[in-house]
Amino acid sequence: MARLSRWGKAAEDAVLVILLGAMILLAVAQIVMRNGFGGGFIWADETLRLMVLWLALAGSVAAARADKHLAINVLARALPPRGQSAARFITNAFTSGICGLLAWHAWRFLQQSFEFEDTLVGGLPAWWFQVVLPVGFALMCWRYFVFALEDIVAGVRGTRRWPATPGDQAP
Amino acid sequence: MILSGIILLLLALLGTPLFAIIAGSAFWSYYQEDIDLAALAIEFFSLAEMPVLLAIPLFTFAGYLLSESEAPSRLVRLTQALLGWMPGGLAIVSLAACAFFTAFTGASGVTIIALGAILYPALKQAGYPEKFNLGLVTSAGSLGLLFAPSLPLILYGIVAREPIDDLFLAGILPGMVMLAMLAGWSLWVSRGSKQELIPFSGKRVAAALKESAWELPLPIVVLGGIYSGYFAVSEAAAVTALYALIVEVGILREIKFSALPGIMRESMLLVGGILIILGVSLASTNIMIDAGVPQRLLEWVSGLVDSKISFLLLLLVFLLILGAILDIFSALVLVVPLILPVAAQYGVDPIHLGIVFLAAMQLGYLTPPVGLNLFIASYRFERSITEVYSATFPFLIILLASVVVITFWPQLSLVFLSR
Repeated sequence: MARLSRWGKAAEDAVLVILLGAMILLAVAQIVMRNGFGGGFIWADETLRLMVLWLALAGSVAAARADKHLAINVLARALPPRGQSAARFITNAFTSGICGLLAWHAWRFLQQSFEFEDTLVGGLPAWWFQVVLPVGFALMCWRYFVFALEDIVAGVRGTRRWPATPGDQAP
Repeated sequence: MILSGIILLLLALLGTPLFAIIAGSAFWSYYQEDIDLAALAIEFFSLAEMPVLLAIPLFTFAGYLLSESEAPSRLVRLTQALLGWMPGGLAIVSLAACAFFTAFTGASGVTIIALGAILYPALKQAGYPEKFNLGLVTSAGSLGLLFAPSLPLILYGIVAREPIDDLFLAGILPGMVMLAMLAGWSLWVSRGSKQELIPFSGKRVAAALKESAWELPLPIVVLGGIYSGYFAVSEAAAVTALYALIVEVGILREIKFSALPGIMRESMLLVGGILIILGVSLASTNIMIDAGVPQRLLEWVSGLVDSKISFLLLLLVFLLILGAILDIFSALVLVVPLILPVAAQYGVDPIHLGIVFLAAMQLGYLTPPVGLNLFIASYRFERSITEVYSATFPFLIILLASVVVITFWPQLSLVFLSR
């Protein structure tokens, strides 16, 4: 389990680093091409926009792991440890469910795109790029499911899940 | 409908991630209207149809990179060499350095952590009163939101579909007003205290300039490139990111190559958090606009106020309350599409609305009980939260006054624009 988690984090890091690095290089190359050679790559702008979408999902999955999604969590911090665990269990279970719904409907969107043979970036199958939606949301669904299980354990033991000062939680 | 709203509100207050709340409310409305729920995924995918969005990850990464390097202390040394000779100089140095830095890092508490650690002890050593220092460093952390290329300015441009370079211009004078009013207050407070002044020396300035020679071109490249029409905003972001990467990792070697993945990851956590909220709210906003929420909002507002002035007053009160509860990014994405048409009816320029929105939301970082920067400062400087509340309070009042000026003096935001 711990190994799985380490590998998962390494995979996330790799995806983030590759996407961000490629994005910087491609965007700068595009400026150089346009200003220096009178024209850029036709596919570059669309690819960059798709990379932003991928980065959005990859960043969200990583933010879920770090439990750093934007939230109003000041009130719940004031609760006693067991109350906190209960509140966290409810919110994490809800979030997991919503991510599950998102993943499922993104999957259906992908199927439609597959059936209609939608294309992007000059003829490549659109689902190659859209597949990040169901995968990303499914990973977040899993993450919040694990959080919810941990909250049950913490609730039974009565341990505090959040530090008393929220400063370190700042996004 | 009302019941589901209350349940979602309760869940939000318990600390549910906001993207899940927004997605949940979008799912619920789609379900009620008999729309295929896969439409939410389609709306989310339209994130890939916004070219300017590219600027968000790139500027954020550049800001995080700069904050991890020695750039903050170089910036302080430079401003100190330039302004340290005058009484109250160090206080003004702190304000200016924080504003400059926040413009690049996007007001996410990074400024307090990166610069506060340098400025807080320096102010104390220079003989400023303790409580003043705490208040100054805490409130300066969100200063600079109105200066290019801050993330909230870009996000407002995206959400409101207004040109981002216009917003960059519009923020200059209002940002200066905030800075000047806080500087004035700092001079007034520190007038009696004994400070060690650093005499002005050309040598010191030259040394500080030389030391910062690599970072100084950055604002010129960003703003010059955009206004000369050489780059689009997203391209300026790409250049900034690559430049910061080459300088801090390659030339100055202040950031080890091995530390890079960690910094990339940290910065992308924030980007992922913002973009997922933007993605799901594209869906929820569309359905709210289809359901005529802005019209109903307008009807309700026009029952309360009938002039532009009274509308702005109502708006200001609303934004101050909103800012105390919600972070600036979520508030922008959720609320701007709904109030934009209402403000237009009262003849409020959308660019001015943006500046007012950000200026008022900036106060939210400092408003008790939940202002984020109050907590970050309390954590960072190991002070109790009530101490931070009372130290920040005078600054909050000054900033509030500056927001009132910015709100009721639209020319301040619009003077550089040809409209």
